[in-house]
Amino acid sequence: MHLDNIIRFDKVNLLRSQTKVLNDLSFSLSEKRVGIIGHNGSGKSSLVRLINGLLQPNSGNILVHGKNPSAGPQKMSADVGFIFQNPDHQIIFPTVEEELSFGLINQGYSKQQAQEKALGILVEHQRSDWAPKAIHSLSDGQKQLVCILAVLVMEPKVLILDEPFSALDLITRYQLLNLLDTLPQQVVMISHELETLENFDRILWLEGGKIFQDGTPAEVLPEYYASARKFRS
Amino acid sequence: MISLYMAHPSWLHRLPAGYKLLGLMLLSILLYPVANLVLMALMFLLTLILYASVGKPAIRQLILLKPLAPLFLLIFLMQSWSVGWLSASLLVLRMLVLILLANLITLTTRMDDMMAAIAPMFAPLKLFNIDPKRIAFAVTLLIRFVPVLMAVIQHLMEAWRARGGKRQVWKLAIPLTIQSIRLSDHVAEALAARGGISTISNPRVSNHESR
Repeated sequence: MHLDNIIRFDKVNLLRSQTKVLNDLSFSLSEKRVGIIGHNGSGKSSLVRLINGLLQPNSGNILVHGKNPSAGPQKMSADVGFIFQNPDHQIIFPTVEEELSFGLINQGYSKQQAQEKALGILVEHQRSDWAPKAIHSLSDGQKQLVCILAVLVMEPKVLILDEPFSALDLITRYQLLNLLDTLPQQVVMISHELETLENFDRILWLEGGKIFQDGTPAEVLPEYYASARKFRS
Repeated sequence: MISLYMAHPSWLHRLPAGYKLLGLMLLSILLYPVANLVLMALMFLLTLILYASVGKPAIRQLILLKPLAPLFLLIFLMQSWSVGWLSASLLVLRMLVLILLANLITLTTRMDDMMAAIAPMFAPLKLFNIDPKRIAFAVTLLIRFVPVLMAVIQHLMEAWRARGGKRQVWKLAIPLTIQSIRLSDHVAEALAARGGISTISNPRVSNHESR
């Protein structure tokens, strides 16, 4: 089996102060677009944090495109890009150019090379005038785009998105989804907006730290919706 | 996210960060023995002119003085009472000049330039196997997150008042602490997820790699 473009979990357990967050989880993801759904507290965020080493499992093995995340997030950052829910939590620098250069400098590029590459990706995405802009002058959607570009410029193989569109209006959400559609990377996305996952290849439904259902969006999403709808009187 | 940086370009943006910081340091030493009120008032005026020369957005930043005003008044009153109004005026003006100038530097300096400028100061730390870049990064992060924490306070106050909270704002200290710690967790995660900050090669990490 090709291990080079697969995310594989093998009997992974994750504990947080004696409670099992993830319970003996095994799966292997080779699909280009994988969605993760589940109610709050089902372990979604923990699962994706295991993929880039932000969390380490208590037992079990993980292999991400041939690499072991036990090397830590710093080493994994070259292969796994991570987009968080709130852009305000991940934007560190005041200007767009600095924000985009940061990861590249960590990868060993010189400041000048990093700035050139940063400008390159802005031009590629028709935002060449953004480089000197102050990030606080951008809208929420534009900030999230900066976060995505800041990760893409590092040319990862996997892109993880943890509820990336929660705070965005519908138009912005669609625009960013269009961008995600064009990417060559494997994408793993947590979302509560089932519509955004409709075109994905595979959906994992997590419940109580276990996979509750696993299949295509057409199989899993309607059932998930129905299970939640019961609670609306 | 709010930031202390002002993207609107100006002549002060083009000046190297090191010169700006060095200038501020020299000025703060030189201003210390000045006992002439007229001269000090002139310096204050010059500072305001400097803000004006940078442009309208900089002048708007002078609103920063508003929350500080009660503090300055308190210092002025205490000092007037203990050492006289002349020394008190000198002290307050000197503080105003230095705070305003320091603020102007943060407004017009990109964070990575600031980092590059202050990193050499921490160079001796290399002796203790501490990467000077790390400390410089911590300093710039501090500058970067001041306005963020101010926004957190603002939100907490709104939530407090929206539910009929009275003026005992000090009670917000604990939620503010909790929120700051959570915020720093988020930022640390985001930093790590993009490769952290480059450091002196750590033997433990390279062992990991060869495994």
